[in-house]
Amino acid sequence: MCAIMDANVAGEVFIKRPKPAGQPPTAGEKFLIWIKEGPGHLVVGGKLRKELGRVNLFQEWAREAQLSGKLRSINDERVNQNTAKLEAKRNYRSNDPHVIALAQISGVRLLYTNDKRLQDDFRNEMLIDDPQGQIYETLKGKKFTATHKGLLSREDLCPLKR
Amino acid sequence: MDSITIENFRCFRQRQTARLAPLTLLVGENSTGKTSFLALIRALSDLTVGFQAQDILVGIQPPDFKEDPYDLGSFDEIVHYRGGREGRTGTFNATVTRISKYETGDEPYQFHVTFGKKGTTPVPIKTRFAHGDTWSEQDFSTVGAYTLRFGTHRGSWEWNAPDEFRTLFEFREGKLPMVFYFPRVLNENITPLHASPPDTQEDHESLEDMVFNFRLDTQRPFASAPVRSKPRRTYDPARTTSDPEGDYVPMYLASMFFENKKTWTKLKNELESFGKFAGLFDEVSIKSLGKRDSEPFQLQVRKSSGRSKGPWRNLIDVGYGVSQVLPVITELLRPDAPDTFLLQQPEVHLHPSAQAALGSLFCQVASRDRQLIVETHSDHLLDRVRMDVRDGKSDLKPEDVSILFFERGDLDVHIHSLRIDEEGNIVDAPDGYRSFFMEETARSLGL
Repeated sequence: MCAIMDANVAGEVFIKRPKPAGQPPTAGEKFLIWIKEGPGHLVVGGKLRKELGRVNLFQEWAREAQLSGKLRSINDERVNQNTAKLEAKRNYRSNDPHVIALAQISGVRLLYTNDKRLQDDFRNEMLIDDPQGQIYETLKGKKFTATHKGLLSREDLCPLKR
Repeated sequence: MDSITIENFRCFRQRQTARLAPLTLLVGENSTGKTSFLALIRALSDLTVGFQAQDILVGIQPPDFKEDPYDLGSFDEIVHYRGGREGRTGTFNATVTRISKYETGDEPYQFHVTFGKKGTTPVPIKTRFAHGDTWSEQDFSTVGAYTLRFGTHRGSWEWNAPDEFRTLFEFREGKLPMVFYFPRVLNENITPLHASPPDTQEDHESLEDMVFNFRLDTQRPFASAPVRSKPRRTYDPARTTSDPEGDYVPMYLASMFFENKKTWTKLKNELESFGKFAGLFDEVSIKSLGKRDSEPFQLQVRKSSGRSKGPWRNLIDVGYGVSQVLPVITELLRPDAPDTFLLQQPEVHLHPSAQAALGSLFCQVASRDRQLIVETHSDHLLDRVRMDVRDGKSDLKPEDVSILFFERGDLDVHIHSLRIDEEGNIVDAPDGYRSFFMEETARSLGL
């Protein structure tokens, strides 16, 4: 199982603890737990790798995650070339064609983002299909819900071998 | 070797197969069977080399599970112990496969052996060679079972040893008999099985070719000890035969220095190239303390800074890491190096940058003709291998690297075969892989 994480939610995932005692993990924290303790993998490549690299905690975590097989790199050049193709067509609404390009190249169909336009693009079957893209979001609240749980248990959204 | 399957050996209960590659890294916690795994590889290598090299009338020396640098003890310590009522199993099994270096085609050669107990030591009691539809099975486990079964694409047959040759099936002076030879030599008492046609000379030749073409190696693997010998201020010229602790290495280097200038120059250049890359030393030399090559000598290294050359220093006067790694890199780089290396923690006492450099050296040395199987606890070494393969720094391709993760279960150990892909990703890792490190990193970052 795997997912792409937009840079705009990295602060929800890579957040310093401790928190008040007794408070359940948020959806962002659960996303990280899914990766570090569960079957999840984070997929990066192209411009998104650079964007996430600017998040200090991510950068420090990424080295260990790569060695542990929890961070999956997709060839930057391939992602960048695909991004350029998308930019030439301009058939998307967001300003994140590199995220769409990464999903197209990797086959990953689960995206954690709170960017509405990117969500629309990711659900657009003209851009992402077989199966349709699914969104993990916290726009309506930070709480970890059954919807979040369901998304993290779907095996059909990740074609990469574990 | 391309794979090894083990069952009921030491802490490995379940039958399981590990993928071996030109560069195989063994990782996992302490006491998860990594060293036992290396010992078994050497034992199987010895056995298959024995099938090719030994005199048929003398037989084959069973592998020694107590030879340095491994001491696995007697049969009872080697066979899997299930504990409680289940106790120890009566046998343990191993199968190795390899694609022949000398023939085309992808069909692997397979050698299976079942070990049983004879006295207190493990000895082979069943063997099976197979390649495609050619195979040969021998069973030494039962007194009175003097039968060899073999087959080719034409059919299968059974050879029963005539009374006067039944001792061929028995251990003589502790040696394993090479029975697969005898149907051809004693071409009688051969019974076709399953309505097979009568056997022919061609069938017998196929059988012998299969056994001889298995060819794991032409030399014994080099097996290093986890700790190498302490350096000495002065060495006396003495034996130059290999040993696990690398005692002989200064003598070997001195013998090249005094007797074989061409080899010495090449080896010196390669050692210095690694020394510089690893930040350990820039030059290495032998200082004779007399006028003849039989006089004592010192092994010296020197580091330079820019244009100014530093002083020559005795090996004993520089960091321990240099003397610990020197035997390993000398053995890897010497021109007559063996085909297989079994290394235990070659990174001990090395700074992380030198550990990483060692990873690069492994990537350069490993190939289909030189297999390195390395037990390591070094992240720096592992990460350098991952990056060098990704970046194409050597000829090593992603499929030429195997990472074997030894994971402890309740009462036994499971081996996971992990891969590196072309992007340097670690693939096929189970959930528990490096969970300790992920936890420590998260804790360190306050996540």
